[in-house]
Amino acid sequence: MRRPERKTKRMLVISLSGGIRSRETFGTPANVPNLMRLAAQGVTYPRTRASNLGHFGATLSIFTGISEARGIRDNARGTDPTLFEYLRKDLGWSAGDVWISTSGGAQESNVSYSLHPEYGSAFGASSLDGDGIFNAEFKGILDAYGKPREMPPAEVALLERMRGSIGGADRALAEEAETSARVERFLLDELERGTQDLNGIGASDAKALKVARNLLAVFRPRFLSVVLRDADVAHSSFNNYVQVIRRNDEMLGQLLDSLRRDRELAETTSILVVPEFGRDADLNSRRGLDHGDGSDDFRYVTMVCAGPDFRRGEVVNEEVRTIDVCSTVCDLLGAEARYARGSRLPRLLS
Amino acid sequence: MSPGSLFPSALIEPAAARALAGGSWRSIAIDLLGRPPLAAERTAWGARPMAEVVDELCAGPEFWQNWLEEQLYYFLLIDNFRPETEGVTTLPAALAGGKLGVVEALHRICLSSSFDRRNPGPDTFVSVVMEQLLGITVQKVPRELEIGKKLYDGASGKFLGQAGSSQADVVHIAIEDPRAARHFLTREYQRLLRREPEPKALEAEARRLSAEPGAFPALVRDWFASPAYAERLTQRAPLSNRLFVRALFVDLMGRLPEPDEGQRIRSAMDGLADSRPLRALVARLLLDSGKVSLPERAALTDPEAWIGETFERLLGRPLKESERTEFLAAFADPACRPATVLYAIVSHPEYQTW
Repeated sequence: MRRPERKTKRMLVISLSGGIRSRETFGTPANVPNLMRLAAQGVTYPRTRASNLGHFGATLSIFTGISEARGIRDNARGTDPTLFEYLRKDLGWSAGDVWISTSGGAQESNVSYSLHPEYGSAFGASSLDGDGIFNAEFKGILDAYGKPREMPPAEVALLERMRGSIGGADRALAEEAETSARVERFLLDELERGTQDLNGIGASDAKALKVARNLLAVFRPRFLSVVLRDADVAHSSFNNYVQVIRRNDEMLGQLLDSLRRDRELAETTSILVVPEFGRDADLNSRRGLDHGDGSDDFRYVTMVCAGPDFRRGEVVNEEVRTIDVCSTVCDLLGAEARYARGSRLPRLLS
Repeated sequence: MSPGSLFPSALIEPAAARALAGGSWRSIAIDLLGRPPLAAERTAWGARPMAEVVDELCAGPEFWQNWLEEQLYYFLLIDNFRPETEGVTTLPAALAGGKLGVVEALHRICLSSSFDRRNPGPDTFVSVVMEQLLGITVQKVPRELEIGKKLYDGASGKFLGQAGSSQADVVHIAIEDPRAARHFLTREYQRLLRREPEPKALEAEARRLSAEPGAFPALVRDWFASPAYAERLTQRAPLSNRLFVRALFVDLMGRLPEPDEGQRIRSAMDGLADSRPLRALVARLLLDSGKVSLPERAALTDPEAWIGETFERLLGRPLKESERTEFLAAFADPACRPATVLYAIVSHPEYQTW
């Protein structure tokens, strides 16, 4: 059967990872005016079930559509294909079409592709960790060594000739080199735009959202994901946790405004926002919030979807799962999440 | 065998007793010290038997400093979570002096305030101890996790079969569990030999490590003398960002990066699933900084010899015929600088493996 033509040509998936309860988002609308605005334009799923897989495992499961236990500090790639790999392999998209912007450092870049024999690095997302790269310390390295000189075209050609001969010529390597050069340019530009100057509580998440906004403008990816992490400060401070939620909402607002100002992006981009899991029902002895009590506050989060093909202002109280994201996105964009165990979100399409 | 060598004669393979090619020395140095050989070492090691050099390297503080860095990375105790307390920073000296064994060193790392900050709350802390120290999948033993969380909060209980009543007890009990030595040796074997250990040998080595806390260097020497390591030397694997940064500085600047400098660059690279664009950017930064000792183009009267030597030094192998043709033709053009040649090599994927 022929797949119906959809207006959605691009997708933005924001994983509010770090553990965020619905109580501090939809339960306290003043904290998240921009998320509320998005919800009013789309479909809200307040009964989205999450699993206690640790931050990394739970975040990974959103992108693989499979709930699988992963060590909390497991700094290794998963074995199940990710959303990025399904999209790139099935739709023939390049690395520049599929991006992930993260805030959690080394571990999170592992989300970008799996070790699955049919997929893997050849189909992975391009990834950028805002806090890892755009920090004042790294800018300091640039200041210490100076910016690289512009290479004249004649020298670039010689460079490519020599590099291309190492180990034998490879056309795929030449294409990768081109993407690589664009990313290299983006990194330098971003450092000049002052992304490293964002600081304070929630700065890593703010950088990830700002990088995402600029990636949209520069690379115009067909799929962009943002993975946040700073809300986990909640373990030791409830107030800081709320501050992170508010700051993220403000940055989300800037990202949405930037999307809306670009007519082509506005008309073709669908957005999905989901936490990886919630937090405990009660404060701990440090007046913070842990995660792992098995309560509904922990197990159920609220997911929001908005886009040109979706219903508007709808609340679906049916239980869905965070792992449904993978199958839903693949279905919308025309790929098949072969190994995912989630389902398409119900009552989403208009 | 050299006097004092801990290589057991029966295990010495020919490779361990004879001198090796330059590429193998590069691999061995990166494996043991986390960096390529310095110029003086390349000259000094060239004609010596491998066993002798490995013995020497394993006895030095640099081996232990590199070991500590690998362990901190394993526990993701990096950047803001890097332990700066004396209990951890003095570990390389204590290990090199034989005052401490590796398992006790892991114990100290897990008792550091950085480990606690990195793994906040009972659920995370106990899960990480069980996963990282013992290799346990906590979801398969939820009851043990719950008991461990109670200990963390100060209640009494029997965690992994041992009585305890504090957060520190969670770590003590895990460290004393026989699985701790086994899990540690498994991951070190995987790191250094790029394969799984044989179960029987692993059991024997774990027992030895428990009985002789200072036995780890001897085990490493045995591993390096085995046919498995000879096979590992024939394989190449991607350099981690940390190793890449250290290799790049040694290869271009003749020195290691300052600890803070190396950490910042590594951290930035860790933020990219494919760090090649940033690796290339950092290589260009160094090459264009005026701080790399580069030969004058005019002084290179024999470009073929210089390019060949550069290949040997940076890629650990001789120049191939097709490469010789292309590099010499490119270098004949006045637009090609010595820095362009170096940049072509260090930004190539092959340089990013060892």
